[in-house]
Amino acid sequence: MKDLKHLIYFESLLENADNELVKQAQADGQLALGYTCYHVPEALLNVGNCFSVRLRAPNTGSIDIATYYMSNYTCEYARALVERGIEGGYQFLDAMIGVDACSMMNRAMEHFDILKVNDKPNFFVTHCDIPYKITDYTLDSYVKQMRLRVLDRLTETFGVDTSDAAIREAVKVHNEVCSIISEMGEMRKADNPVITGYEFHVINLVSYTCPKKLILPYLRETLEELKKRKPDKVSPYRARVAIVGSEIDDPNLTKLIEGCGALVVSDRFCFGSTPGREVIELKDDEDALRQICLHVMEHSECARYIADEKVLQRRETSDRLAKEFKAEGIIYEQMKYCDYWGFERALVSHIMHDEYGWPVLSIDRLYNNGNSGQLRTRVQAFVESLEIKRIHKEEGK
Amino acid sequence: MAKKEKIQYPNPRFFRCKDEIDWKAQAENLKEVGGIFWDMLKETDWKKFREDRINDAKDDARRVKEEFNDFMALDKAGKVDRIVNGEKSLGRLYRKGAMATVRREWRGIKDTAYDFYEWTRMWGMLLMTFSKDLFPALNNLFWYRWMVSYFCCHSFMDKNTMGMRGSNLRMSHLLIYDIFRYVAENLVLNAKADKKNGNSGALNQITVLFDEMTMGQIMAGFPDLYGFPHQLLAMFLVSELDQLTCVPYIDAVESFGLPSDTCPVPSSECGALVLDALPHMGQCFLSSSMPCDGSTMASSYYGRRFPDTPVFHLCFPVRYLDEETVQMGADDIKACIKFIEDITGSKWNWDAYFTQIKRFNQETDYELQKWEVNKSAYPQLLGPCYELFRKWNYEMDGGADPRVLKTAEKVNKILMKAYENKEEAWPGKMKYRAIVWSCPAHYYANFSNWLANCWGVNVLVEMESLNFTKHLETEDKEEALRDLARLYERMVMRRHTNGGYQNVVDELWRQCEDWNAPMVIMYQNVACKNMATVQGILDDQGRQRGYDLIWVEHDLMDPRTVSRRTMRDKVSEYMRTVKKAEPVDPSLVEFEDEVCM
Repeated sequence: MKDLKHLIYFESLLENADNELVKQAQADGQLALGYTCYHVPEALLNVGNCFSVRLRAPNTGSIDIATYYMSNYTCEYARALVERGIEGGYQFLDAMIGVDACSMMNRAMEHFDILKVNDKPNFFVTHCDIPYKITDYTLDSYVKQMRLRVLDRLTETFGVDTSDAAIREAVKVHNEVCSIISEMGEMRKADNPVITGYEFHVINLVSYTCPKKLILPYLRETLEELKKRKPDKVSPYRARVAIVGSEIDDPNLTKLIEGCGALVVSDRFCFGSTPGREVIELKDDEDALRQICLHVMEHSECARYIADEKVLQRRETSDRLAKEFKAEGIIYEQMKYCDYWGFERALVSHIMHDEYGWPVLSIDRLYNNGNSGQLRTRVQAFVESLEIKRIHKEEGK
Repeated sequence: MAKKEKIQYPNPRFFRCKDEIDWKAQAENLKEVGGIFWDMLKETDWKKFREDRINDAKDDARRVKEEFNDFMALDKAGKVDRIVNGEKSLGRLYRKGAMATVRREWRGIKDTAYDFYEWTRMWGMLLMTFSKDLFPALNNLFWYRWMVSYFCCHSFMDKNTMGMRGSNLRMSHLLIYDIFRYVAENLVLNAKADKKNGNSGALNQITVLFDEMTMGQIMAGFPDLYGFPHQLLAMFLVSELDQLTCVPYIDAVESFGLPSDTCPVPSSECGALVLDALPHMGQCFLSSSMPCDGSTMASSYYGRRFPDTPVFHLCFPVRYLDEETVQMGADDIKACIKFIEDITGSKWNWDAYFTQIKRFNQETDYELQKWEVNKSAYPQLLGPCYELFRKWNYEMDGGADPRVLKTAEKVNKILMKAYENKEEAWPGKMKYRAIVWSCPAHYYANFSNWLANCWGVNVLVEMESLNFTKHLETEDKEEALRDLARLYERMVMRRHTNGGYQNVVDELWRQCEDWNAPMVIMYQNVACKNMATVQGILDDQGRQRGYDLIWVEHDLMDPRTVSRRTMRDKVSEYMRTVKKAEPVDPSLVEFEDEVCM
């Protein structure tokens, strides 16, 4: 296929947290709000003159100092953020919106505070309590947390307009991004898609890490380009896989998997498009904040939700996505030391195989995995097993 | 004057529930167990077994001779001291490769007599309790391997009281007796209810199970229901008695695919579920999101093993100091009460609830009195029995058993008298005042005992004891629920490891000052992410403040990762190199207890 016009530019935007567009927005007087977790409704961080930056630590090398603070058996993503913070990589942020959703991420955010990684006078780190299940009262609490710990803090500190109207305006822009990404994502359903998993991953990541209004023109143009793009006559891939699991903000992992011959057609992981790129349908006669919070709770696929219906939802979503996107197998992945996904992966990789009938590859991985030979070998073996299954199926065995 | 109502605990009706044992299933199980025993017998190297017994006998003879010679070598005053105050070299009670100590400790005439009295009292209680429904209780042995470990409960008691004398010994015995009584009664009831064993339909009808570390106080409003902590006896508590109990369960779940870096508590429980090693019982299950991420996830394994048991997920806010979150916790408790009512048909009883909580409040007062004494220059109640009691009382009993209040009264009387007399909790071993921080190793429940006996390090209090001490509301119903939420949010471990680093970092320095403890035994559970993620901060700030932070790694329920010996070595190394100290009892510096229960 012909290369996408902006792909190299998008890749360059992912080289640094404070990329060109972030700098441009800040130069225009906008406020950069860092966050990491889907439980912080992204749209809320784009109210008024704010824009959201979902934090990554690209090109992470040594994380020795963070390891001193957080030990060597904790989430590498959390440690990479702390390390980058200590190095001064998040000095550009105006505030950090943290959630107490998993202990390691929460501690990472706390280290931003304790170690004073940002010396802007008005910089603050806020911590929100996140419920574990969906009920009226947990929704009430979630809404209250977002109002008190996020929106009110923004108003008090920076005078940001966080009114219902401002929130609705932010949702409008957010929805346009989501519509574009979703439309691109749908293209992966084709037998011979015009977009690769890697390209989609890169495009989706820039939509999380760049100011929405500044990235939108590029996204619109790329969508048009994709609509006209011609796929290769024969797909170079030997199998189609869906990925399910914890945080992946490194598109090189997708590249590695695709390099082994498995086209990644579905991305149900943190920083992926499910959840995160669903359009938020707002009713006019209800409080926008409450509707957004409910949307996040309902669409969240985080293993942290322990109520039975959410446990089932996660399995059903994996199954549905794999079917809709014509995957032949599922890769269940987990960031090493992630407790939530460690337990979830171990159990559900069995369930998806035994009860849903999916071939499953179950892996735990480091934060930066693009060059892992071990992982490559495992994916190659999985691709071969999928091919063998296909041959057997074709032969009617 | 109105006649005071006598409360019987546990409700005698629970024991009277009729068993409906499936004898055919028991016969099949016995056949299977018999086969396993037969295989073991066949595979036993009898020659080696015989040699080992001969070597043991020789070793015993050598030891007796050595002890005799030691005694004879003492001068008259030394001999009198040995007879009256007991032995000093406790390391000789251990033998390499032995599962138990070689003999019981000589504590001096008076204390040995008392100790023996408590030993027989414990036996009496166990026999009486088990005889309430003997067959299922003993039959548990043939269903669950963890049950075997309970047979070393007397040895556990001995280990926990090792080196103790006088009032500390008496108080420790009283406290641990209550825990054992609770365990024995619940073992009998669990065996009765277990569908594989006693299969009592009537008991199952009124049984509500709850998760690992979910506190028992919610059952206070349901006096006609039997609340049973499902994994507590099978995993959590028994792992304190026998360091090797959880190993097969951890291995099972890791073979299943669970990463080995997860906390051994939920890992063991999930392993037990994978191997079907938990009793099949109860009308419903109260799971919880506590205390940490790993425990939260264990409930999905429960759902997998017992898909037909309705589950309520108690989910409390993590940022518990934020009063804005309290109502969500209270609402969740309300929803949980309704769930129990709907499932069991029982009705929440406010009178019963308030009665129990009043007892719990009184027990909290007694606890605070203990703290005041231990904060003073003459701490009196030290050691593992007290540490275990506090956790169990706060977490599981919660005022449910009126007999525990009587024990608390009795213990505090002894405590105050000992304080007035300025007794030494560890006679001759009061050298360093220390606090234990983070969660202790289950497989080394008597570590604080070793610290005192070997190095004279007196653990005044554990982090896990320092929980909620506010009196819970006993009049206003809405506020009572909010208080109950506050209590649950501050459960053992969670109180410190959740809700912000201040609760575990700043709090430590505050407690060190409060207890006048310049030394911290800093447990480092290698799988506890909540604690691991503050280790650098603790280290930095501890150093700045000039405290002795002795980091002791462990793996909670898996002694293979960090052995007891390695834990001891960490302390000994610090004491020798940093404190330039000499051990109080050199025989305890080096000894082997790798397989000792």
